[in-house]
This record gives sequence, structure tokens and C-alpha cells, in this order.
Amino acid sequence: MTALSSNPVRRIWSAIAAAAFLAVAGVSFDAPAQDRPARTANDVPPAPVKSGPPGPSYLEPLYATETTSILGKNVIGPNGEKLGMIADVVVDRDGRPRAAVIDFGGFLGVGSRKVAIDWNLLKFDTEKRDHTAVLALDRREIQAAPEYKADAESAEMVGPPLVESSSGDAGK
Amino acid sequence: MPANDGAGTVAGQAQHGVKRPAAISAERGLDWFNLFVANIQTGFGPFVAVYLTTQGWTQTRIGLALSLGTITAMASQLPAGALVDMISNKAAVAFFSILAFTASALFFAWWPTPLFVYLAEVLHGFSSCTLGPAIAAMSLMIAGPRALGLRLGRNARFAAIGNGIGAALMGACGYYFSSQSVFLLTAALTLAAVLPLLPLARLYEPGRPASRREKSTARHREPIASVLTNRTLLGFGMCAMLFTLGNAAMLPLAGNFVTKRAESEATLLIAAGIVLPQLVAAAISPALGRLADTHGRRLVLFLGFCTLPIRGLLFAAFPNPGMMVAVQSLDGVAGASLGIIGPLVTSDVAANSGRYNLALGFVGFMIGIGATFSTGLAGLIADRFGNPVAFMSLAAAGVAAAALVWTAMPETRPQ
Repeated sequence: MTALSSNPVRRIWSAIAAAAFLAVAGVSFDAPAQDRPARTANDVPPAPVKSGPPGPSYLEPLYATETTSILGKNVIGPNGEKLGMIADVVVDRDGRPRAAVIDFGGFLGVGSRKVAIDWNLLKFDTEKRDHTAVLALDRREIQAAPEYKADAESAEMVGPPLVESSSGDAGK
Repeated sequence: MPANDGAGTVAGQAQHGVKRPAAISAERGLDWFNLFVANIQTGFGPFVAVYLTTQGWTQTRIGLALSLGTITAMASQLPAGALVDMISNKAAVAFFSILAFTASALFFAWWPTPLFVYLAEVLHGFSSCTLGPAIAAMSLMIAGPRALGLRLGRNARFAAIGNGIGAALMGACGYYFSSQSVFLLTAALTLAAVLPLLPLARLYEPGRPASRREKSTARHREPIASVLTNRTLLGFGMCAMLFTLGNAAMLPLAGNFVTKRAESEATLLIAAGIVLPQLVAAAISPALGRLADTHGRRLVLFLGFCTLPIRGLLFAAFPNPGMMVAVQSLDGVAGASLGIIGPLVTSDVAANSGRYNLALGFVGFMIGIGATFSTGLAGLIADRFGNPVAFMSLAAAGVAAAALVWTAMPETRPQ
């Protein structure tokens, strides 16, 4: 538990967010996912009736214990050292996450650097909602990475350490 | 306005030319006010980007919020200056500017939603443009044009102390508590900043020697065009712009390098790179102010500007984190000299025009242009040609600024 996430105000907000979320999720129990008829591309949801605004045709639960929002989430190293926070997520053509952009280091915003890290090197503990993301690399392995620029034609991300040069578990 | 009733009559009976208790408390009030304002401004800097990231903001939106703040500040400089010229009670201007800071800080802390963050950026951008000129105008009223250098040196000392304490305090707050607590602390400090304004509010009662200048300027004003086409002011604006073009990107670039290369404790090194220059500025500011009064504005500005190319060359030549922090402390000399000479030269040029604050707004606008382009240009150069070339380019801007001061800027010290 880092100092930042143990702040009571943040915890209260997280609790409120989780409660609101569970309330929404609870409503959707009325129509469990497996009872829902399979939708095809031709299926057009019925036109909304006049009474009430148009809404989604169905809702699926996103359980707080299984999912988490990640922008702004703290990132810590394997030894618990605070490294930075997730500023952005880079996806590939299919929409799958390829890299996390981490805002790394700095003091009061001075000297911080944005570096892209292979998505697979991050682990999220969704059991506790305000848990930080754990990166399989430590500070030395990412500090000299090239600055990530979203508008550049190409960028590089930090991948897992090569097997022969790593001590074993860092890149799993 | 806080407590300006009744007190003015007591001070009004005092004789001109004697150090009155009211004048002394006004001096002290201004000291503390400078300190608190510098404190308050710490959280509104680059930290805003960090804070909004922790609040789950996307980078695009953060960029939008920051640009909004910059654009507001740039667009407000001249109108805000003109507005402050029209209000004779500068302490009231300072008071309402501080209130706007309170609101901005609370918006950030409590409602980090787009609407309130954009509102906070606009409020902060505009009130920064009224606060700076108000402080300079109060200094001029307290000290008069002949001793203004000394007074501005004192301002710069207390502002530097405030900057240093603010960075340390808010850095610790952000690290040990939460980034939200930084803005709560900022809001609390704005309330503290109101107290030193009390003796300043008394100083501007009518019939006071210190306000005689203000009364005379309120009567006749030179046309705006004649102030803004004043060659000395334009020349000084160019000098200040060139200097800031070279100076503003130095710390971010050096900080980025420290994060990249430091063995450990990169954060502490960067913190030292922020606080050390303030210690230097606090130590030498009064001497620089006195020097400006006795030996002229050009000399002080030239000395200050010369430290910029030295810094750039040392950064380029010795790319090593510890060295960078040490060299960065020279920023204290440059920052203090511009902070003192800016309002001083502007006063020499425009104090009697009734447009002092407008002229200050113009100088602020030029500095803003330099700052806006500095980080972008340095970043581009660093990407393409590497850090040493970027540092040398910034040094070149510093050489140009110093050369312009030496060759083109006339001495404006009143004889």
C-alpha cells in the first residue's frame, strides 16, 4: 500500500465510486447475460418508445472485483518503489492494449518523462479497487527509455528483458 | 476590502518623509504578501498536469486545460494591466486576485471535472495578470521611483523564499499525502495571504504622501498607443522575451535529463534544482536591487542575463545530474535580476504616464511569448539534435538577450 492510495479522501471516493458501480451492476442482474438472445448484425433494437429517452438495449455487469479503471493509476516496481502513473494506453489495430504510457519520475511536474512499457509487463490486482498496477521492471530498467510522443510517426516501448540477460522472473 | 476604514486617518496625520509606523507595517505587509503569493503559485505550475493525470484525465484534455490557462494569461496581460490602472486601490486588486486563486485551488481540489478545471485555469490565468502589476504598483507607492530598486529587491527576496518553501511544502504534500492535498494547501495559503494585505489597504487612503503619485496619475493618462510604442519599453520587452526564450526550457530539459540519468534520488535532485536557485535569489536580491538604484538597471540586467549562456554551456559540457543541479542555482541570479529590473525599468518609463500597469502587462506579455515558445522549441531541438545542442541553442538566446541589453537598452535610472 503506498502513501498515495492510503489517503482517506481517495479511499472514500473509491468507496463511493464502487458503491455507485455496484448499484448499477445490481440493477442489471434482472437480465443476466446468458438469458439475453444472441444478437446479429441485422438485429435492430426496437425503436425507443415515446415515454423516456433512448437507452442501451442491454447492460452487462462490470464487477469491481474483476475490472478496474486505469488512467491515473499508480505504478509500482517489483520492490514496491513508486515509479509513476498510467497516463495513456496504446492499442493495436484490433484494439488490444499494446503498451501503457507511464508518466515517470519528476518533482511537482518538473522533469517527468512519459515512457511506453509493454502492456504484458503490467499486473493489476483488481481484488482491491485502488490497488496500484505492478510493473515487472524497476526504475533503472525504464528510466532511460525514449520519451513517448503520441503524435510521432513511430515510437518505441520498453519490452521484457531478454531471457539470457535477465535473472529469470522479471519478464514473465 | 478588508479593514480599510478608520485606519487611514491615523496614518494620514503622519508627515511626509518620516518612516511612519504605518509605512513600516506596509513594508512588512508587502514582504509577507510576496512570500505567500509565490507559495500559492507553486501548485498552479507544471504540477497541474500531474494532478489531472492522477484524476484520470486523458493527455489530450490535460493539454487543452493547460493551453486554456496559457492563452488566457497571454490574452489578459494588456487588458488586465489597463484595468488595474483604472483602479486606485491596488490592495483591493490584490485581494480579489487572491480570492480568484482561492476559487481556482478549490475547483481543482474538489471538482476536477472539465467545467471547473477550465474555469479554474481561466480564473488563475486572468488573476495572475492583475496580481503581478498590483504588487509592482504597491511597491512603487511605498518606495517611490528613487528607492524602488531596493523595494523590488526585497520583493524578489521574499518571493524567492516563498517559492522555495512552496516547492518543498507542496512536493512533500504531493508525495506523502495526495495530489489533491496540494490544492487544499494552496487554498489555505490564499487565506493566509489576505492578512498581510491589511496594512497595505490602509496605505491608499486619500491625502497620504504615498498615494500622491497615484492621485496625479489618476487624473491624466497618456494614450495607450504612446505607452506601447515607447522605444525603451519595446526594447526592454524584446530583451525580456529573448531571455525567457532561452531560460524557460532550461529547468524542464535539465530535469528530464536528471530523471533519465540519475543513479538514484532523481526526485530529490530535481527538488534541489528547484529550491537551490531560490536560496541564491533570496540571498542576492536585495544587493541586486541596491545595485540597480546606485549603478543602473543595465548593469544588473546584463549581469543576470550573462548567467544564462554560462548555464547553457555548462549543461552542454557536463551532462551529469549533480553538476546540473549545481549549475541550475545560477538561475537564481537571472531570475532575480529580471524580476527586479522588469518592474523597475517599466516604472522608469511609465510611472508618470498613468499607464504603469498596462506597461507591466506588455512586459508580461513579451515574457509569456518567450516562455510559450521556449519549451516547444527546446524540445524539438533536443529530439532532433540531442540535449547538448538544445542547451547551446538556449544559451545562444541568452547571448542575444545580453547583447541586446548591452547595445540597445538605454539606462533609465532617474538622475
